[in-house]
This record gives sequence, structure tokens and C-alpha cells, in this order.
Amino acid sequence: MTKGLLSLSLLALTASGALADEIRVLNWQGYGTDLGWSLEAFEAATGHSVVHEYFNSEQEMLTKMRTNPGAYDVVLINAAYTTQAYEEGLLAAIDTAAIGNYAGIPANFAEDPSLVHKGAVYGVPWTWGLTAIAINTQAFDEAPTSLEVLWDPAHKGRVSIRDDAEEAVHLGALATGQDINNIEDLDAVEAKLRELMPQLRTFWASENDWNQFMAAGELDVASYWSGSAARSAGMGLPVEFVVPKEGAIAWLDGLSIPETSEHKEAAAQFIDWMIDPEFYVKWDAEGAPASANADAAAALPDDAFNKRVLGDPEVVKLAKFRAPMDDATREKYLALWQSLKAAQ
Amino acid sequence: MSPIALLGRIWLVLILIFLYAPILVMAAMSFNASPFYQLPFEYSSKWYSDMAGNEQIVTAAIRSVLIACAVTAIATAVGTAASVALFRYEFRGKRLLQALLFPPIAIPWLITGTAMLVFFFTIGIGRGTPAVIIGHVALALPYVIVTVTARLSSFDVTLEEAARSMGAGAWTVLRRVTLPWIAPGIVAGALFAFAVSFDQFVVSYFLSKPGDSTLPVLIYTAIRKGFTPEINAISTIIIAVSMAVMFLAARYSKFGGDR
Amino acid sequence: MAEVIHAQDRRRLLTLLGPAYLWLTLAVFLPLSAMLFFSFLSDMPGDAPDWGVTLGNYTQFLENPTYATLLWKSLKLGVTVTLFCIVIGYPCALVLAKSIKGRAREALFLMVILPFWSNSLVRIFSWAIVLRGNGVLERTLNWILPFDIRLNLMFTTEAVVIGLVHSYLPYVILTSYLALQAIDDDLIDAARSMGASKLTILNRLLLPLSLPGLLAGAVLVFVPVVGSFMEPRILGGRMGTYYGTVIEDQFVAVYNWPLGAALSFILLAVVLVILGAASPVLRRART
Repeated sequence: MTKGLLSLSLLALTASGALADEIRVLNWQGYGTDLGWSLEAFEAATGHSVVHEYFNSEQEMLTKMRTNPGAYDVVLINAAYTTQAYEEGLLAAIDTAAIGNYAGIPANFAEDPSLVHKGAVYGVPWTWGLTAIAINTQAFDEAPTSLEVLWDPAHKGRVSIRDDAEEAVHLGALATGQDINNIEDLDAVEAKLRELMPQLRTFWASENDWNQFMAAGELDVASYWSGSAARSAGMGLPVEFVVPKEGAIAWLDGLSIPETSEHKEAAAQFIDWMIDPEFYVKWDAEGAPASANADAAAALPDDAFNKRVLGDPEVVKLAKFRAPMDDATREKYLALWQSLKAAQ
Repeated sequence: MSPIALLGRIWLVLILIFLYAPILVMAAMSFNASPFYQLPFEYSSKWYSDMAGNEQIVTAAIRSVLIACAVTAIATAVGTAASVALFRYEFRGKRLLQALLFPPIAIPWLITGTAMLVFFFTIGIGRGTPAVIIGHVALALPYVIVTVTARLSSFDVTLEEAARSMGAGAWTVLRRVTLPWIAPGIVAGALFAFAVSFDQFVVSYFLSKPGDSTLPVLIYTAIRKGFTPEINAISTIIIAVSMAVMFLAARYSKFGGDR
Repeated sequence: MAEVIHAQDRRRLLTLLGPAYLWLTLAVFLPLSAMLFFSFLSDMPGDAPDWGVTLGNYTQFLENPTYATLLWKSLKLGVTVTLFCIVIGYPCALVLAKSIKGRAREALFLMVILPFWSNSLVRIFSWAIVLRGNGVLERTLNWILPFDIRLNLMFTTEAVVIGLVHSYLPYVILTSYLALQAIDDDLIDAARSMGASKLTILNRLLLPLSLPGLLAGAVLVFVPVVGSFMEPRILGGRMGTYYGTVIEDQFVAVYNWPLGAALSFILLAVVLVILGAASPVLRRART
């Protein structure tokens, strides 16, 4: 009886609208926050409804935040861009005490210098993953162990990398044995990439391209994201993700609350929901990147890709996390990449 | 039929095959089971049932059609008026006005869209469906004006003069002489305007409110993760319905310019 | 055509022209003027306190050969696509306007544009399915022909041209049709009765009279194709980098609106100069 009354009063609270906010989320499409079943459960639990808007590049995400004050409550920001957003005054400090699941985030993520500024948290680590290579298992008897496979003449014309200056330069840095965040010999990177160009069948720009080109049998090996490789394999493509011995580019995605948000409490509740282990395990079954919450990662079944591969300490050792990059470096990389592409 | 006329018809058929090749592939792929558009073809109606259950796609498609209809109506009316003026009158600055039609076509839509976003934000138009329509109409206008002007350029002004000399007023001349003559141009302009609006993603993407996406925005943002043949299913339905509407229109009206 | 002298004419002119140009001013010219202003800045105001006025973004075009190389490549692409559209589309318009009569003509007129009431991305990916190795085209040809054929069209410049010609062909067909259909059949009959051959009729009568329509169509093809980046990226693969690509990158990959805007206005200027230079030549050709 008491239980019934309690749920009734909860219902009344919810229906009164006092606590029911509409949370606006800015994210890539199809990236965890917009799963229908999760949003329904979230609304049932908290009363808050969730509306989405999508972006197609980090620059666009920043532009949208700058030109739409008050429009968003939760924004997904790659940690390499969080500092920039913070410096532009776009982000609010997050009260981590209000986020119950925050305790599960290990220090290496929680204390990431990109996310924490002057002791305050501006981004809650949510997911991470690797950019390395994925192979068409039908084209290989044995999985390669080195990035050099991209330069292997045996696969000439059957290779692809993403059409992205930073990623291309980072791959070149790994292949020439350099630190991706502090490239000393950019000429060596350029020379290495110039050698790569004739190997390429095409560039890819999205998971959509990648899957279609791979499914059509155009490619043997291509750079790819870990979570996407797991998803493609899960959908039946003969794909295997390979972390080469030279290392892999690692990225961390955080959830942030814009300074101008009018629903900061509800936003914190939503972030809490997103890093919840129960949600993550269900999401992972549909193909997700690795969780930054150790409790969530531990809750995965043992055969899950994110536990089997990304949970492997040997793999973790190879992960080179992207540091924030200043505009001048980014433009320098872009000019390099454009000149390589224009020479084709 | 003369050999040349026969050859001409064969040419026309070949061009229609070329124009419809990707459309037929698009429709075929909406019935193909593979989510990666893999061949060989394997029949499935899965994507249609998925699409019907996908409220987001259906509302976005309906919103896109409604916006495109509004844009077509406005751009055609406003653009036709401007074409008539540009054709009928000689005045200083006319060449400049004509040259000004090119920036919206020549500058990539991404840049125009970004500019609109910043400008609308600054002057307080903000975002939402009205802003989207304002943007689409502006991008469709040059197409309407160029098309209608192309038709008008072969208009025989003496026809109007003859009508006027027989005592017809300005409106009567416009309604009974000028408009029927340029009708094919107006129809072509309207068809282009619809196509421009219906396929426009940058402006919609920057100017629509969160949650109010149009079909192109949905497709454009879905590409990162990969879109499924559901998109083909809805596109096929839209093309099929448009085709039916168009054939009805062709059956009951004359706009091809037959004399 | 009347010179505007009377007040009444001026009023009419304003009523007819006003809405269109006010609309364009509000939604395109003013926003683009802001972009033009940005193109002379060293940094975006608000992000960098030390922004100033500079010609640097324009001189970068001269300093970095990548931009000029790609602009030249894009102009060549624009010319190629426009020529193909004319060669393919004009005869098609001729047949439609002069050989087909009645209801069929209305239906065909609509059918030419209908494919474009679909999404361009979906269309481009459909082309990819047609052109790729072991795709629809190769399968069809191998089914018809007795021998095996490998075209290898996907990810080539040819694929880009095919995709772009497809996207822009309707403009040439319809605008040419509009002009051709306006030519009085009696005129053609008269020429024929005077013994003019079909070729003479085409060269001396149809082509000159329909030139405005054909040119309008050609402009509607050439201008956007020079700035295109979507079709080249998906169909051209490694070869698909064009001028539009580097403009897009300035907005999407790095936050350098000033340079992106400067590159766009250089594109616009070049296109306008080409159109301006071509118009007297073409006008002479007409008479």
C-alpha cells in the first residue's frame, strides 16, 4: 500500500512538470545518447524528455555552441577540444557530487588535464576508443601486426585511410616511430604519407563509406575506429580490428554542460545515466566504444570486444592519447594533407 | 517516322535510362536485404517495415515535403515577377542585378549556410522553420529567375502590343498573353525550386530547431554511423508518389507550351 | 523593351523586382557581405583579441600552389561536365520540343526532373553501387556481352564526371527545351520550303534562336560544378580532391573562416570573370 502511494506521488510529481525538463543534447548521430529504449527508460525514471541535435565535425559543434546560447544542455566533446571550449567560456563546471556513477571513473580519465581546469571538472569522461586499422579477414591468412601493412605492395590499390588531416599525420607519425603529440620530423611524416598515396583505393569519410566499400570488396585494409569495427563485425562484415605494434591513436570523449544551459541539474542526471554500467552493457550489445567508467567496463560479458581487446593491458599500453592541438598546428597539418591530395 | 526522328527518340530513351539508373538502383536497394547495399540482390521488405516504425524518418520526410512546397510557391511567385521585370524594362544597374544572381549559386552552400547562421543569429531571426524557409527561398530564387528568363528571352513583345492595341488592360495582357506563354518556364522553375529545397541540407541543418530535422539533415547526419536502406525506402515512396502526382498534372493541364 | 522613364513604370518595376531582391539581400547578400568582411580578417573577432584587417588570406592563395592547382582542376572539371551536358542534353531537348507532341511531351518534361526530387547523397551512393567493381553496370554488361569485362570506373575522374553530368543534365535539357519550344514551327516549315537542309535549319535557325536557353542551362551547370565537393569525394576516391574540398576543410576541419571565405570569393570572382569574358563572344556568335 505504501509502495503504491509512493509511486503515485512520484507520478504526481512527474506529471506536475515541476521536475520535468526537456534536455537538449548535441552529439554525433547514433552515438549512444539517442538510443530510443534508453531515452524511454530515462524519461520514465526522471520525467525528463530528451531532444537531439547532431553535428558532423568538431568545428561545427563549437560553431553551434557559440551561435546558439541556451540551446543545449549536454554536449559531447572530444577531450582534445574540451580545453578550447573551456577557454572560450562555453562550458559550465560540473558538480560531480550530483553524478553517482562518477566514482567509477578511474583517475587517469577523471583527472585528464583536458577535462579539469583550475580544479573544476568541465567534462565527464564517457567513452574512449582507438583509431588503428581493420582488415578484411578474407584477404589475410594471418592478421598483420604492423602498420607497415598499409604500405605493403601486396595490397596496393586496396587500402584506405580517413580523409582527415590530423588522423593522416598521426598515422604517419606512428609509422615513423614518432610521438603523435610532439612530431619532431614532420618531413619524414610527409614523405611516408606520400609513399602511402599510390597504395590507396580511396579515402573514407564516415562509417557509411567504410562499410559499403568494405562490403563491396574494394578494400583489404583500412584505418578504422575500434567501436565501429566491433559494430561492423557484429553486423556480419568479415572485419577484424588490429592494434599494430607501433601503437594506436586513442581518443577520449566526454560529456559537458554548456555555460548557458538552463537545465543543468537535469543535464547532470542525464550524464549520470549515460555512464551508468547497466546502460553501458546494453549499449555495448549493439556496438559501442569502450566505456571510461571502470565499473561499466567490468560489467561487460567476458567475450565482449571492448573487454576482450580494449580491456587487454597489452593493448592499453599501445594507446597514445590525443592531446589538445592548437589552431596553428592543425592548419599546418591540413596544408600538408591538402598538398598531398592535390598532387594526385 | 523519318530515320532522324527515330534516332532522336532512341537518344531520348537512352537519356531517360541514364537519368533513372541511380533511381532504379535506389529503389531496388530498398528491397535488398543487405544493410551494406551488398550484391547479389536478395529480396526483403524489412526496410519498409523498419521505416514505417521509424517516427523520426517519417516526420522528417513530411516536414521536408511541406517546406519544399512552401518554398516552391514563394520562390516561383517572387522569382517570376522579378524575371518579368528584368525582361520588360531597361534600367541602370540591370546587368549588376543579373550578375548578383550568381553568388548564391557559385559559393558553396556550406559557406552560404554558415553565413546565414551567423547573420540570422546576430539580427535575431534565430532558428526555426521560418528561418529555414527564408534561406531555402533565397537559394531557389536564382534558379527560378534564370529559368523563367530563359523562356522570356524568346517572347515576342509584339504579342503584348497587339493585345494592348485591341484594348486589353495590363492585367488582362499579363493573364491572357504573357503568363500562358511563359507557363513552361514557370513550371520548370517551380520544379527546380522544389528540387533545391528538398535536397538542401546545409541551410536546414544550421537553421532548424533541435529535434526539427528535415530528411536531408537526417541523412547527412546519419552518414557518419551509416544509413540503412530505410532511407532508400522512404526516398522510393516519395519518388513514386511524386510521379503519380506529376502524371495526373500532365494529364489534366497543359504547360508544355503546345500551341 | 521600354526604357524606364515614367513614374508609373518605375513603380511597377519596383513592385516586380522588390520582393525578390529584398529577399536575396536579407538571406544571401548581407550574410555573404559579413563573410566578405571576415575574409579580410586575420582571425575571427571574439576568438582572438589581436584580430586585424589583412590581405593575408588572399595572398595565401598565391603563395600556396595547392589552391591554384585545385582551382584549375575544378575549372577543367566544370568545362568538361558542361560540355557533356550540352552534347547530351541539347539533342534531347530538340527531340522533346520538335519531335514529340501532345501529352507525351508534358509527361516527359516532368520525367526529366523527377529523379532530382530525391536526396543527392542517396543518388551518389546509388551511382557508387552502379559503377563499383562487380557493381550493377559490370554485372549488366557481363550478362549482355559474351565476354568478361572489367571497367574499373569507380574512384576515377570519369566516375566524378558521370555523377556530375547526371546531377546537372536536367538544367540544360529543360532550359534548352524552353527556348526551342518557343520557336514557331511555321518558321521551320518556311525554311524547309525554301530548300534549307536539316543541318542548315539547325545551324542557322534553331541553334541561334535557342542559344539564350542553352546558355542559361550551361551557366546553371558550370557555376555550381566548379565549387562541388560531395560527388568528387565519394565517386573520385583518391582523385576526388577539388577546390570545393579545400574550402570545405577550412570550415569543417579547422576553424579558419577567414581563409575559407577568401577562397570562396576568389572562386566567385573567377567564375564571374569567365562568364563576363564569355558573354560578348557568345553574343557575337548569336548574330
